[in-house]
Order: sequence, then structure tokens, then C-alpha cells
Amino acid sequence: MKIHTILLKTITGAAIFFSCSKSVLDKPAPGWLNPQDLTNKTGVDGLLIGAYSLLDGVGSINVAINDSWQSAGSNWVYGSVCGTEAHKGSSEGDQPDMGSLEEFKATSFNPSMAGKWATVYDGVQRCNDVLRIMRLATDIKPADTVEIRSEALFLRAHYHFEAKKIWNHVPFVDESVTYDAGNYKMSNEADIWPHIEDDLEYAIAHLPGVAKDIGRANHYSAEALLAKVYMFQGKYDSAKTLLTDIISSGHYQLSPHYGDNFNAEKQNNQENIFVAETSVNDGSGGMNGNYGDIFNYPNSGPVGCCGFFQPSQFMVNHFKTDPVSGLPNLDENNLTDIPSDYGKTSGDAFTPYAGTVDPRLDWTVGRRGIPYLDWGLHPGADWIVDQSTGGPYSPIKNMYYKSQQGIYSDRQGWTAASNAIHIGLIRYADVLLWAAEAEVFTQNGSLAKAQEYVNQVRMRAADPGGWVYQYKNAQDPSQGFSDTPAANYKINPYPGVWTDPLMAIQAIRYERMLELGMEGHRFFDLVRWGIAANSINTYLSKEKSISGYLSKSVFVAGKNEYFPIPQSEIDKSDHLLIQNHGYF
Amino acid sequence: MPCCLTICKTFILFFLIILVSATECQILGQQKVAGVVSDNDGSPLYGVTVSIKGISTATRTDSSGAYSITAPSGSSILFSYVGHETREIKISNNFQLSLVLPTLVTNLSEVVVTAYGSEQVKDITGAVSIVKPKELTAVPAGQVEPMLQGRAAGVNVITQATPGAPTLISIHGFGNFGLVTPLYIIDGTPGNINDLNPDDIESLQVLKDAGSAAIYGVRGANGAIVVTTRKGKPGNATITFENYLGYQVPLSKGYDVLNPTESAEATWQAYTNSGIPLVHPQYKNTPGSNIPILPYYVLAGSQGGLAEGDPAADPKLYNADPLAGPIYQIVKANQAGTDWFHQLYSPAFSQNYTLTASGGGDKNRYLFSLGYMNQEGTLINTYLKRFTVRINTEFNILKNIRIGENLELLSKETPDEDAPENPGTGGSASISLANPILPPYDIEGNQYGGVPGLGPPAPVFAYLDSRNSKRFNWAALGNVYAEVDFASHFTFRTSFGGTFNYNYYYVYQPSFPSLGGSATANSLTEGSGYGHNWSWQNTLLFQKTFHEDNQVKLLIGTEFIDNYGRNLSGSGGGFYSNAPNYTYLSNSDPATRNTSSSAFTSSLYSLFGRLDYGFRDKYLFGATLRRDGSSVFGPENRYGLFPSVSAAWRITKEDFARATTTWLNDLKLRGSWGKLGFDGNTPASNQYNLYGGNPGSTFYDISGTNTIVQGFTAFSQGNPHTGWQTDIQTDIGLDGILWNSKLSFSIDFWLKKSTGLLYPLGLPYVLGGAASPYANVGDIENKGFDLLLGSKGRISRDLKFDVSATVSVYRNKIMKLNDGTDYFDQTGNGGAPNSRIARNAVGHPVGSFYGYKIIGFFNSADDVIKSPYQDGAAPGEFKYLDANKDDSINDMDRVFFGDPNPKFTLGLNIGLSYKNFDFSTFFYGVFGNDVINTVKASTDFFGGSAMSKTLLYDSWTPSHQNAKVSINETSPSFSNTLPPNSYPLEDGSYFRNKSMILGYTLPRNTLQKIHMKQIRIYVQVTNLFTITKYTGLDPETSGTASFFGIDGGNYPNNQKQWLMGLNVSF
Repeated sequence: MKIHTILLKTITGAAIFFSCSKSVLDKPAPGWLNPQDLTNKTGVDGLLIGAYSLLDGVGSINVAINDSWQSAGSNWVYGSVCGTEAHKGSSEGDQPDMGSLEEFKATSFNPSMAGKWATVYDGVQRCNDVLRIMRLATDIKPADTVEIRSEALFLRAHYHFEAKKIWNHVPFVDESVTYDAGNYKMSNEADIWPHIEDDLEYAIAHLPGVAKDIGRANHYSAEALLAKVYMFQGKYDSAKTLLTDIISSGHYQLSPHYGDNFNAEKQNNQENIFVAETSVNDGSGGMNGNYGDIFNYPNSGPVGCCGFFQPSQFMVNHFKTDPVSGLPNLDENNLTDIPSDYGKTSGDAFTPYAGTVDPRLDWTVGRRGIPYLDWGLHPGADWIVDQSTGGPYSPIKNMYYKSQQGIYSDRQGWTAASNAIHIGLIRYADVLLWAAEAEVFTQNGSLAKAQEYVNQVRMRAADPGGWVYQYKNAQDPSQGFSDTPAANYKINPYPGVWTDPLMAIQAIRYERMLELGMEGHRFFDLVRWGIAANSINTYLSKEKSISGYLSKSVFVAGKNEYFPIPQSEIDKSDHLLIQNHGYF
Repeated sequence: MPCCLTICKTFILFFLIILVSATECQILGQQKVAGVVSDNDGSPLYGVTVSIKGISTATRTDSSGAYSITAPSGSSILFSYVGHETREIKISNNFQLSLVLPTLVTNLSEVVVTAYGSEQVKDITGAVSIVKPKELTAVPAGQVEPMLQGRAAGVNVITQATPGAPTLISIHGFGNFGLVTPLYIIDGTPGNINDLNPDDIESLQVLKDAGSAAIYGVRGANGAIVVTTRKGKPGNATITFENYLGYQVPLSKGYDVLNPTESAEATWQAYTNSGIPLVHPQYKNTPGSNIPILPYYVLAGSQGGLAEGDPAADPKLYNADPLAGPIYQIVKANQAGTDWFHQLYSPAFSQNYTLTASGGGDKNRYLFSLGYMNQEGTLINTYLKRFTVRINTEFNILKNIRIGENLELLSKETPDEDAPENPGTGGSASISLANPILPPYDIEGNQYGGVPGLGPPAPVFAYLDSRNSKRFNWAALGNVYAEVDFASHFTFRTSFGGTFNYNYYYVYQPSFPSLGGSATANSLTEGSGYGHNWSWQNTLLFQKTFHEDNQVKLLIGTEFIDNYGRNLSGSGGGFYSNAPNYTYLSNSDPATRNTSSSAFTSSLYSLFGRLDYGFRDKYLFGATLRRDGSSVFGPENRYGLFPSVSAAWRITKEDFARATTTWLNDLKLRGSWGKLGFDGNTPASNQYNLYGGNPGSTFYDISGTNTIVQGFTAFSQGNPHTGWQTDIQTDIGLDGILWNSKLSFSIDFWLKKSTGLLYPLGLPYVLGGAASPYANVGDIENKGFDLLLGSKGRISRDLKFDVSATVSVYRNKIMKLNDGTDYFDQTGNGGAPNSRIARNAVGHPVGSFYGYKIIGFFNSADDVIKSPYQDGAAPGEFKYLDANKDDSINDMDRVFFGDPNPKFTLGLNIGLSYKNFDFSTFFYGVFGNDVINTVKASTDFFGGSAMSKTLLYDSWTPSHQNAKVSINETSPSFSNTLPPNSYPLEDGSYFRNKSMILGYTLPRNTLQKIHMKQIRIYVQVTNLFTITKYTGLDPETSGTASFFGIDGGNYPNNQKQWLMGLNVSF
């Protein structure tokens, strides 16, 4: 019986151990928060920060970090490469999916479409999570609730707007759309503009004029975003009201120097209305910098890689000004070339163009023989991967100063190029130019006022204090800049008083390229003006004459104004999502 | 409370049985019996189990074959020994009982280990395949999983060439979309068979149906593989030494790519076809003749296309040291062409040693083994080094109490999984794309990143540098157990064991130049993790024969499994020097440092019982019932109940069949039905909505001061309703042995209906970034048959043969998908668009290939106009099938055009022995499966990297319309490469000689003179030939359960290896 006793003890022990099996099967998830953990002020604030953090377009879990160009907050591919301002760059075959976009041959299988879609809707749902979880919180004061809600709706409108301008036919996803509710197979039939407007109207009504943090939405940024929404719908009257309010509020003004907007040290100025804030050396491995633009540096230049986003000859030509009037030639069909070093090696002699140009050119385009910030003179071909694919130019607005290296640029991994130049979404110059447009297009608008707005933008550019100057010593840029302008800059405001609305609108549209070039807006502007097919085909015929690159590209009117909805999302929606016209 | 109630009930039952049996204790007359057991040839047999039938008294014969046992008068004594017939002798008054145990002709009385116990082959009612250890180790794969290929009918195995890489293994088709790996039970404890030293395996059984595996309940749905490791046997100590040395050679022919001259011609052809002027960053044109001129230097600084003597290529300008100034590399073109394949694949050595000592006495048995393996792969820096120690012991501490343990200590080293040669990171695929004009190194022998317009070189240096990237695993695997026999018919067993592991890894990425000569920063990631996966099992076995004819075996038990693990890692960059002796995290730039830690936990609690009943060895019946609770499911669906029944009829035991026994030795009809469960590798946190944050994804510089504040978002979507996947399996089998094993067969027809498949459906992105939860997403049906045919015997006195063949056939079909959908797409490696070529749809097999089907070319502009509208249509482009006949090609015209599942697989083993020579060869074949050749999909079209001969010589031109591939053009379109289409589809059937061995065993009399028990030497060759129509390197492609048959530039697995081996025992 001794054995029986041992056995008895063992089994009794086992029985006691296992009788609590219900609780041993209740295992928490280590390292994570449950939604209940966030139902308080700090938690909801954190969720809102999470919603802001996708403004740069980088960090959505469904997009691989090296594919960040697809979702970049700057929209450099969709807005600028597809919008006549730049080429993809690098060489033929490097990032072929991006090449398809530039050639207007992208299909619904192009991975970039899914990348952008995933990111903007991730942003939307992060906003929705703020709203959903805030409802469960008990320690948030009513006033705070309203403010948090306003910021969340503002951001939600922004993310939906991104989707709207890229695909047009997209679903509006509010906080009722959840996995648990099972309502996630969504149609894109209904127009979402009214919903975007509703979200922004709430935000305008409840946001303070000055936010507690510079990065947060406020009353005016919400007005500016709604004005943009109206501009995209051609609702110029409504837009004008909002834009006038922003201008007359005096909260914003143009920064003294144009280049300040692209300088991490000086970018927190009164011109910013809505930006994606960036930071580096913060433990994110560069992901909080402008990572979406990580390829966009001169190749084997200051940071090495990768030679993408090369300004087009077509855009560069726009910067030519009349040597006497200092005004551009508004006829886009007659743009003669600013001579470039195309076809020349860095060893070949080259003298930069001596004719008159808009001083913003050298803040927008890196070109041979002109100081490239404080990195030295742009050497031309040495910084270009393949001129026959991308042309002779380099981007510059996203480049940091050498003197800021390691402070505003990341120090880790191959992200050494990621830097803290923020991603401008709406700046005051943008508002002024919209206002100018609105003045032209509204019944009681004033051409004089439109001209005043345009001239305000041009006058800032005309201030010699904000020009690019030659180095004191070209061999050692660290010695600083001389008093000699880097090129023959000539710019003047439009003289007299505008009387021809057609000329006015042409001037405003032209001015937007000069002022906002390479900032990811042009394609969407061309589409909202209804001139995309014409303008882009003009551009294509110009560019293809240089090297043959893009020779088979055609912008098809009625199709290429919008991008293809990702096939994977159509498939996952059970074909409730309908593909945009012309795509298969 | 229902759980507690069940537990209470179970234990009440336990006690009742014990009480009943205790009162049943009988006192009978005892007598002592002794004798000697010997072999056919009269030599004594050591370690024969001598037991009293019906009660659990047992002993073993000693080294002289002698035994002595006390038995109740009138009882029967059983003598059993592996490989020999079992004898049952009733004792009358014979106190001396010596006998011969003849060597088995059939394996019917062989005792094999099955679920929670063991049984004789003749008593098995389920579908069980037995794989001999000798068959396993005939393929020197280093790990056990790949060795199973073709050895057991009904088991599908897709192996990978990278040493130590995972194998895709499934039993009876693909039962779900995710994890199909069977449950591995090692010495009764769940574990990982790949960490075993294959030389330590004593037996391996594959439990394929509900009748055999249902007792494993939740984890039995994928089938189970039960492994027993070698044990010591009573008798004199035996020492064995096993060893082989191998030499593997890479395939003689690599990728079929154009040489540099042809490559330039193909570029000109593409430019001409695309209307692009003949201007290229590297090639110069010969005006007039339009012949491209190759560059002498492909890179100097950032320029390419330089002629010999160009001042830019002056070696004085060269600089590869970022600290010394701007990098300026100079790279000469290799105009003859670099054979990239053989730059990266070179002959490899492997070696394997196992030294074993075993023995024991009446009261204890022991086995120690020491194993070392170093298997190198032909691809640079791929290897698996493994050191194992095994200690298996058992002690009879009292006559009826045994305690013992099985333990393996493991130390393993592989390149780190993030190292470039790992197939997961696409390393080997990049070799197929490297342009032959590029040399491996620059003029100073340094690595360079790339050159204008010709794509990147294959990363030779990255491979070499990854020597500093390693992963180490240390583990203890095994169990300790105690068994108590009591009240004549009861055995109680308790076992505690599992795997306790620790790993450490570091990956160093040196700074290396990128295209144009700048250097990227270096970085180091280092980390470790520990974990356990232990199980505690208690079983009570009741075994009794009633009234001579009724054999009853009842087993009840409990099992508790607990998993826990924790990981820590850190990374940093900005090292001053790349020297391995300097690159430690403390030397990294503090601003670049990152740390992270994570943990996981899950548990499982189960109650189970099994009843076996046999009547006169003729009618056999088994039933199991198991109830499982798993922490991975939410409370509402946490528990599952899994029953099964099985029965067998040994027809040859019937009187009417007696006449046939002269030729029909045995015939058994089997059948089983059961329900098995599966938790689908569901993450333990599946039921919860998980929120979190990290700097890159959710933190934000809200104050605009170049600093971040913490933010959160949802990372995982939870689903508390997810519950068990259940498989209803039916199996009917027939086993037969004819003419004393001259022919034996075993055939099974099976049907497996899986419902509530566990898988994370990719949710639409409108739900945000949170990962999809595992849910019960649909139903799959698999059906098929397994056939095992064997024949063995003698042709002459000295010439013996043993031939066996396994045939596995399955058909797989998705029956239903929930969530109102009838398909979902599967993504995997292979690059766009072929990473999206697999679709799981109702009515089709898992992982079917889906896309636009090519029906020919547009041969003229007229043809384009007359054909259905197609985006990108132009002469020379692919014409797609207008499946819905709406005169337009759109997404509704995608069709299923391929199936990666084979029609059948075949394993064929031929063994011959002549005197002391033995010969065996093993063939494996897969027939009727499709493969997507993504290498072809990239190199048959124009690009800056490697291009194929097909592109230049067999692409469409107006005068060559009967072409293989569309017109050679610079930019891709919908009508050639942009959407998933049928172009890369190929027949993946193959038939391979996997192994051929010739061995010689020294004759016994020679051995006796030198006091040895056995010496055998052998030579072997693996992968001698493969017969296939597949045009890629190797049709055997790796993958996952719902994304396989995609050749993403795989590390070929058909490379020959020559081996020499030695087995010694004394």
C-alpha cells in the first residue's frame, strides 16, 4: 500500500495544481496595452500623437520601410514626378514601379498604390481610435474632449483628402468602421467631399487660434485645409471667405527669406500653417525624419545615395525671367531651355547660364556650378546617376546643410540622409496663391487683390537677403558666402493693375510652380484646374526630346487624372470598390 | 466551473479504478522460471524482454542471454525483442525454459511506439507509417525533417538547400493556410525533431489518421510524428562510432544569362524597339553600324562607360576609405563576363561524427552519445554546426518502479537568419540578377555598391562579411519520468519534460559603398532570448486479458503544457572601425542605439482517455476522447472535445482464411474516424486588441523641437471568438503480407475535412494598420491515398534484396471561406508581381496560381484592333485570355492557370546485399505540379541587370512571331510584366536519385579476431541526377503552406555530394 500512498499524493498534488486550470489558461499579452489601458487623458493624448505621427507618411505597419517613397507625406512621386516638375531619376530600371508611375503606365498591381492606400487609411483609423477610445475615458474634461475631437477630425480630413486627390473614388471611413462591426467591405461610390467638409467644419468651430504645441492643428490650419478642399471642388466663394479670414487674422506671414522654409534651423517660422514635424536621432532610426524622401539626394554627393527626384528641364525653364521686367514668360508652350550641362562630364568645362532667372530657382533645383547649400558647388554629372534618364539636375529643398550634419540629420545606418527638414503641407504662400485664384474666380473678386497676393509672394522672393550667393571660397564653402549672387537673378512684382482675368489666372498658376516647385503639389493642381492632360503632354513632348526617355509615355485624358485603386483592395472588398476609369 | 468539474470527475474515476484494482489483488502460487534465449544461429540474445502476461512483472536477459523470473503458476511468459518474433509460452511445471527467438520475417510483432504508449504492429488500428532509422540517415541532410522525404506514404516534404533551413512538411495534404507542420513527440514529450542528432533515433512513426493521432487532440490535426531515441540494452557495454565526410559540388551550370557583349546587344535591341536613341551611361554606340561598344571601366568615381586610359580612372584617384576623404572607386568591366553563380557557390565539405556508449544490467540501462556535425552549404557562408550530447538512462528502483530520463544537450551555430545568404532575405535571388559585365571586386579588390545603368553586383562581400553574423542556440531537450506498476494490471506514469532553450545572435553590417561610391554607415544588432516549452503528463494504464480472448487496454491521462519566452536585443551604428574586435555596442554612437525586449506566453491543459479492445487478435477496436483547453483562445471557445474510433479486422485470423496462410501471411482491414483539433499556431495574444507604440511608427515631434513624444496605435486586432480548427478524418486501410514478405503492401484511402481553418485573413486597409487576427476563416477538404509496397527476400544464398515504394496522392480543395468572401490572396516572396500570384479560392486548391493567362502575342497592329481591348496592347506584346468574353481585358479576366500541388509523389528505395556488400539507392519523384519561375520572369525581360538568352534570341519580332517572350522593350507594361500572368509558369515535375550507397561490412570472423562487433565502410553519392523539364536551377522550391511552388531564385537543392562513411562498434 506504500506505493498507493505515493500515488495518492501525486495525484492529489496534480489535482490541486490543475484545479485552477481555468486561471492558468488566462494569459495576458506581454508587452502590450489593452484598449482599456488607454481610456484616460494620457492614453487618448498618446493615440492622438500616434495619429499625427503618420503625417510624414512613414511608419504604417503595412508598408515596408524601404518602400516609404510610396506613401511619403511629401507626395514627391505623385505630386511632382507625375506633375511635370521632376523625373524619378537614378537610372532606368531602378525602382521600376516608380518608373511606371512616371511613364503613366502604372497598373492597379503597382505596389505603391497599396502602400499609399494603407498609410492614409492607417492615418484615418488612428484618428478614429482616438474618438472610439475617448468615449470610454472618464477623466477627460468636456473642453478637452472637444479639442481632442477637433484635432482628430482635422487629421482624419487630411488623410481622407490625401486619398481623395489621388484616387477620387474612395470610401469615407468613420469611427463606426471596425473589425468587430464587420462593416469593412466598403464601396467607393459616394463622394466623400461632404464628409471631409463636415470634419473640418467641426474642427474650425472648436479649435483655438493658437494651439498648445506648434505641431498641432488650430483654427486657422483647419480653415486653410477646408479652403484647400473647396479649391479642389472649385467652390471659390467658400474658399475665399476662409482664406480672407486667415490672411486678415495676421497670425501668419511669409518668412523673411524663401530658403528658410527648407532649412531645419529656421523652419519654425510664421509661414507654417500645416506641416509634418520631423525629428532625427530620436531612436527611430531616421523614420521620423523625411524618410519618404530618403532616395532624393545627389548620388555620390553629400550623403551618397541615391540620385532620385531630379528636377525636369521643363520646370527649370519656367524660372527664366525677362531681363528687363523680371517677369516670367507665361506661355508654357514656348519655353526655351536654360542651357544645362547635359552630356558633359564634371571634368568638362561649363559655365552656368548667365541669363536672368528667378532667384527661387537655386532653392528649388541643384544645378552645375551653383552653390549647393554649404556643400560646395554642384559638380554636375558626378552627382547624377544617368543623365539620359533623369536629366542633369538634383533636388535641394529636402537637403540639409553640412553645418547641421548630425544635428538635423540622422546618424544611424544608411538613413544618414534622413533629416529634420519638415514636410510642408500648407504654408502661407500657398494660402496667398489660393486666395489670388479665388479672387479671380469669384463674382465679387478683385483682380487687384489677386495681383497683390501674387506680388506679395514675388516680393519676398525678390528680397536679395534671401538669394543664393557665391562662396567666399569655392574650395572651402565653410568660409561662408560672398556678396555676389550665385546667378543673374532678376525678379519683379507684376506691375500696374491686372485687368485680364485669363492672364491673371495664367500668372497665378505659373507662380505656383515657381513658389511651390518640388513640393508635391503640381500634379494635383493641374488636375483640379482641368488642364492636366494638356500640360503633362506638353511636358512629355518637351522632355522626351532630350534623351528619348519617356518617349512612349502619354497622359490619357479621363484616365490619368487619378491613379489606379490597388487591385488587392478591390479584391479584399469583394469588388465593392470600383476601379477608376481606364484602369484594368 | 465546467473545467474544474471535469477534473474532479476524472480524479474520482482514477481513485475508483485504484480502489477496485487494489481489492482485486490476488495471491497465487508463485514459481521461479529461468533459462537462456538465443538467436536463430544459437548466439545468445541480450536484452530480451521477459514478462508475465497479464501482470506487469518483467525482466530482461543478460549478456549471456540468461534470465530468471518469478511467475504465478499457470501464467504465460512473453518473450519479446526488437526484430525478432515474440513468443508466448505457458508455464506448467517447467522451471527451466530456454528457447530460440527467430528473426522476424514480418514486422507484425514488432513493438512500435505510438501515442502515449506502444503497441505491436499487428494491433495497430490507425494509419501509421514506420520509418527505419537507416532509411532516414541514408540522406545526409543533417536534420531529420528533410530526411523524411519520400520515406512515408502520405507525408509531403519540400526541403531547402540552406543548411539548417526549415522544411515544409505536411501529412495528408495541406489542411490549412498556415502551419501544416505535424506534432513531434520525442520520447513522449513534444519537441522539435530538427534539433535531434539523427544518429540517436531508434524508431520513428508517422501517425497519419484520427485513429492514431486523435489522442493528441488539439495538436493532432496535422498528424503526429513519434520519435524514440536509442536506449541502452542490458549486457556488455557497446561502443559505436559513426562518421561520414562529404564533399558537395555546386551545379556545373548556373543561370543562363547573356554575356556582356550580348547584353549590350540586347540593350540596343530594346532601345531600338522602344524608339530611344542609343545613348547609355555605359555603352557607346558605333555610329553607322549601331554596334554597342563595351566600356573598359564601368565605374570611376561616379562615372561609368569609360574607355581604357581615361584620366578619370587614374588609380591615383582611388580611395575606398571614408575617413580618408570622398570615396572614389574604380571598377573595371569584365568583358568576358563574370560567372556569378560560381563566384558564390563553391564546393563545400561536411562532416558528421557520433560516438555512442551504451549498456546496462538488470536494474539499470544507460546510453551516452556524443555527436558533432559541421555541414557546409555550397553558397558562401552557409553552414550548420551542431554539437549534441545525449544521456538516456533508466533505473528499476524497486521491482515495480522505474525512473528514467532522456536528455539531449544541444549547441548549434548557424549564420544569423538576417544574414544575406538566408533565403528569407532574398540573398540567393540577387545572384540570378547580377550583371555579368560587373566584376566581383573593384581594382583594389574592394567591394563596390553598383555602377550606373547596370544594376548591382551580387553581394559577394556582403556574404563574406556575414561571417561576423552568427546565431547560437543552446538547448536541453528531454524528459524525466517515473513508472509504477501496481495491482497487477495498472501502470501509472508521470513525465515532466520539454525544451529549455537559450539563443544568442549578432549581425554586423559593415559600412559598404553604394552606387557611385559613397559609404553607408555600419551597424550591429545583438540579442538573445530564452524560453521554455515544458509539458507535464500523467497517465494511468490498465491492461488486462479477460477470459483469454478479451484484451483490454484503458489509458487515461492529463497533460499540461506551458510556453514562455523572453527576448532582448540592442543595436547601434556609427562604429569608428569595422574590425570585428572593435564592433561592440558600447563603441557605437549613442544616438544610434536602440534596445527592445519582448515576451510570449501560452498554455494548454488537456484530459484524455483511450480504450483498446481486442478479441482473439482478430477484431480490434480503439476509441479515444480528449478535451483540451488552450490559452490562445478566448474564454468562449477555449475548450474543445475531440473523439475518435478505429477498428481493424485481421482477416487472416478467421477460420475461413486459414487455407490461405501458406501464401497470405497477414491481411488486415482497418478503418478509423475521428475529430481532431488544431490551434493553428495562433499567437497567444490573438484574443486581444493590442496597442503600443514605438519611435518610428507612433512617436511624434509635436513641439517641433527635434524631439519626440510618445504616441500609441493599435498593432493587432483581437478576435475573442476565434476557436479550434477541427479536422474530421476518415481513413480506410488494408495491410497485407504475402509469401513471407516477398510482397507486402499497405494502402490507405483517406478523407480529411477541415473546418474553421485558423488563419489571419488580410483585412482591407480601411481598417488601419493593426495586424489581422487569426480567425476561423474557412473549410478545406483533402482526400487521397497512400500506398506502400515492399518486397524482400533472397535471390540466391548470398544475394538479398529489399525494395519498397511509397506513393502519396492527395487532392486539396477549399470548400468554403467565411467572411462573405470566396477567395483571398496570398503574398510571399518572389518580387512584384509574382509575390501576389497565389490565390486561395473556393473550389480550388490552396495556393493556386492566379492571374492573366497568356494565349499568344499580338502579331500586328491589325491584330491589336481586332482583339479585345487590352491596356498596353501593341504588336509583340502578350495577348491575354478574355475569360468573361466582354471584349475587354480587365481584372475579371484573371483565371486560375496553375496548381503547385503535385498529382502524386513517389519514393522508391532499392536495397541489395551480396555477402558483405550492401547497396541501396533512393529515388524521389514529384509529378504534375506547377512552378512559378520568377528568375525567368525577371531575366527574360529587359532590365539593367542580368538578361537571359531567351530575351535576345527568342523574343518577339515582326519576323520572329513564334517567340517565347514578348518584344524586347525598355519599359514594362500591363501587357508584359506588370500584372501577375502565366509567363513564368512551368511544369515542376521531377524525378531524382537522392542517394546511392555502397557499403562493405567486415566478416564476423575477422571482427572476432580484432574484438570488434561491427565495422562497415561505405561510399555514397547524393543527387546523382534529376530528370525534369523545368528550366530553372531546381524545381524543388520552398515556401509556406499556402504560398509554395514559387522559385524566387532559390538556393538549388539538387547539388551532388560525395560521401565516405564509417560505422564501427565494439
